[in-house]
Amino acid sequence: MTLAVFLPFLLAALCAGLGPRLGRRTGYVAALAFVPALLLAGPLSAMPGAVPALEVTRWVPTLDLALAFRGDGFSLLFAVLVGVIGTLASLYAVAYLSERERFGRFYSYLLLFGGSMLGLVLSDNLIALFGFWELTSVTSFLLIGLWHTRSAARDGAVKAFLVSALGGLGLLAAVAMIGIAGGSTSLSGLNLEALRASPLFTPALLLVLLAAFTKSAQLPFHLWLPTAMEAPTPVSAFLHSATMVKAGVVLVAKFGLLFGSSPLWGGIIVPVGLATLVWGAWIALRQTDLKALLAYSTVSQLGLLMSLYGLADAEGNFAATAHLLNHAAFKAALFFVVGIIDHETGTREIPLLGGLRKALPLTFAAALLASLSMAGVPPLGGFISKELFYEAMLHQGPVFIAVAVLGSALTFAYSFRLLRVFWGPRRHPAGVQPHEAPPGLLLPAGLLTLGALAFGLLPGSVEALTRTAQNALDFATYTSHLSLWHGVTPALLATLLTWGLGAVLIWQAGRVAILGRRLTPRVNANTVYYALTEGVNVLSSRLIARTQGLALPDQLRLMLGAAALIAGYAVWRAPQVFHPIGTPPLALLPVAALLVAGAVGVLLARSRLTAVVVTGLTGFGSAAAFLGLRAPDLALTQLLVEAVTVILYLLAFRYLPRGGDLPRARWRLRLDLLLAASMGLGATLLVLAGVRFLAPPISPYYLENSYELAGGRNVVNVLLVDFRGFDTLGEIVVVGTVALAVLALVRLGKGGRPRPEASAPPPSPETPPAPPRIKEET
Amino acid sequence: METLFALLIGLLIGTGVFLLLSRSIVRVVLGLSFITYGGNLAILTVAGLREDAPPLLTLRGPYADPLPQALILTAIVIGFATTALVLTVALRAYQVAGHDDVEAFGDSLARDPDAQLDMAADPEHQGPDRPDPAEAQVFVLAAVPRVRLPEDGP
Repeated sequence: MTLAVFLPFLLAALCAGLGPRLGRRTGYVAALAFVPALLLAGPLSAMPGAVPALEVTRWVPTLDLALAFRGDGFSLLFAVLVGVIGTLASLYAVAYLSERERFGRFYSYLLLFGGSMLGLVLSDNLIALFGFWELTSVTSFLLIGLWHTRSAARDGAVKAFLVSALGGLGLLAAVAMIGIAGGSTSLSGLNLEALRASPLFTPALLLVLLAAFTKSAQLPFHLWLPTAMEAPTPVSAFLHSATMVKAGVVLVAKFGLLFGSSPLWGGIIVPVGLATLVWGAWIALRQTDLKALLAYSTVSQLGLLMSLYGLADAEGNFAATAHLLNHAAFKAALFFVVGIIDHETGTREIPLLGGLRKALPLTFAAALLASLSMAGVPPLGGFISKELFYEAMLHQGPVFIAVAVLGSALTFAYSFRLLRVFWGPRRHPAGVQPHEAPPGLLLPAGLLTLGALAFGLLPGSVEALTRTAQNALDFATYTSHLSLWHGVTPALLATLLTWGLGAVLIWQAGRVAILGRRLTPRVNANTVYYALTEGVNVLSSRLIARTQGLALPDQLRLMLGAAALIAGYAVWRAPQVFHPIGTPPLALLPVAALLVAGAVGVLLARSRLTAVVVTGLTGFGSAAAFLGLRAPDLALTQLLVEAVTVILYLLAFRYLPRGGDLPRARWRLRLDLLLAASMGLGATLLVLAGVRFLAPPISPYYLENSYELAGGRNVVNVLLVDFRGFDTLGEIVVVGTVALAVLALVRLGKGGRPRPEASAPPPSPETPPAPPRIKEET
Repeated sequence: METLFALLIGLLIGTGVFLLLSRSIVRVVLGLSFITYGGNLAILTVAGLREDAPPLLTLRGPYADPLPQALILTAIVIGFATTALVLTVALRAYQVAGHDDVEAFGDSLARDPDAQLDMAADPEHQGPDRPDPAEAQVFVLAAVPRVRLPEDGP
């Protein structure tokens, strides 16, 4: 299993390199990556009775993070499904993509996606599960945006990423909560009783649902899936049939064992799923683009799967797993078929196409069987799973079955709408002569269609596959068997009703279209999405203009104000931390007086020169403090620096304008005083708190080893040049860089003259000039 | 002793912040110096003040803590370098703009009353392309004034 997850990642790197050399044949290498996943069919075939295998690779033991892969029936079943569709998609792409495609990039993205999907379904560690979940989001972003020169592709990729990243954040929080409440980060090692009793149970449940709904495109998060259509068709088949969008379904299926006991779980999932079923099918019916039709159909089918897994009982899990297999078969086949049509005629618009039956007979056969399976017509797999769905919904109540019938009738109608391109008079864009697709395109579609057919004709096959997951999803006790005919049951009556309704919908297609246009709401998920993103853009622009666009003091005021608020909150929360310490020593009082004199003096100083001199007072005061605190090196350095600084100021004053401080507006002065006072108070409190929480110093080490290791008796010097030599090197680099920068600036300044418009009399305290507005120069 | 120094540090930092918010460039630089003084003393104080011997092994111990002293030594030198740099930048700014009023050095966009309401703050770094050009009408940027420094003579 570990190999199955990691081989795609390894081969992705290989494909990235091979792409330019092998061209489209890279696809054959890519298909190899899914071989270990296909080989998981071996353990799967022994599954209903066998014990789940667990492979653990230690990763970050201190975080309780391991790459634990658990091969229970459901995980293996899904992994094999990913492997099958992944292999077929890779092979299909060989024939589908144009010669100019960048194959290295395409196949490595595809494999990265496949690998993360396999990791997601097999992972037993919650944190790793979240990691793989996010990886699927990122890689699907790359895949959808593959043709990044098209703005629709970029838009679709960003939309998909934003929506699924939102859910990803939810999952991160949920994983943390489950890990805390359940006492383990291993999915199989969770303490279920503790989790259910924990107050974190409900928030975790809701967050898991958020993740599952965003990933599986449930209402109202369905908006990203149709725009994800911008990806190349093989990718769409992979993303939509087996994998990415089903990640949410997998999550619901797996976590149903954890959360299914709560009435909230089914209470939320089932209605949302059914609503998605009906709404997705309704929109699918109105699409003219074949691929968009399939996309909304996927939304709708995911709703069906969600509502079944959301029941979290044996019946629901059984029906859902059976439908999962059927759906993967017919949906991937249909995507491949639509890819063929697109490839052969150059368009996917239903009104532009017609009578393709004669030109593409084999494609037509595949499309017919797959569509009938989607519509739920016997003797195909879709029929069987729909019967199971009806049975489950019948047990839920009349409203549920009514909604289910409505959704399925719509499904029936759009399945036939899809087939319309094959009937009627021959119609296709001028200039193309459609002919049957090459075997490379036909084979994957044909194989999957045969699968859909086999699932229907031999119900035992799909039953056997479904049963492999019975222990993992806890439906071993469910005894019903799959068959095409099980007598005249309520479910069969519902099916007949569905067909009738569906036939009416097809018959009255024109009126339905008019009704659909009339019922289209002006506000839908997409407009909300664009309004939101636009709003965020505008908001951030304004925020930047209001905060970052200000003059320096105003920006500083904002920052300091924010700091004061946050620090003030901390002080308010923990006042007991700050209390006085130590006794004031008499010897240092004169030094303190010097420091205070400097600080007060600079605030009162009128002229610049006085301010600098008084600042020097504080500088020398702190040198004296260093001396008093037994730091002679510091005192010496400080004295030297002070002297040089004063010289520097005097040099600068030669070139700077005369005059004292510029007056501040009154409200600014008050604000500044407040800010200065709170910063000062904050510094005092911080020092007091710091003294209290001081860890034992590491200085004894330096004192003991200074002479032995470095041969120096002045420990501070030894620290600087030996123990922390790189620090000092950095310091020298800083000083050297500054010296260069100063030199450059001074050189520049030689020819610099004040600009004519601003060379008015220098600002004086009496008449504060309006700051000269900087105008555009042309 | 620590409390006394904590109060002194508060005073120095407060003074520094007040000066930092001044309009005159020189006072801003002085403010930085005061914050440096306060910071240096804070490092020393937080490590615990001792009136023992300086960390010179030729004297008889116990010694004051050498580690904060080494840190401050670096900080003093870097503080000096910062002061020198900011002072030179101030000089240069005065030469270019003709005044030493920090408050006048604002972003032109924020102060431009003619700027459109929803205009991007940074016209040169817009977001990625919009999906639909019609929707991007909000971000019409033709009229953004740009600040240009005059070319200096040789």
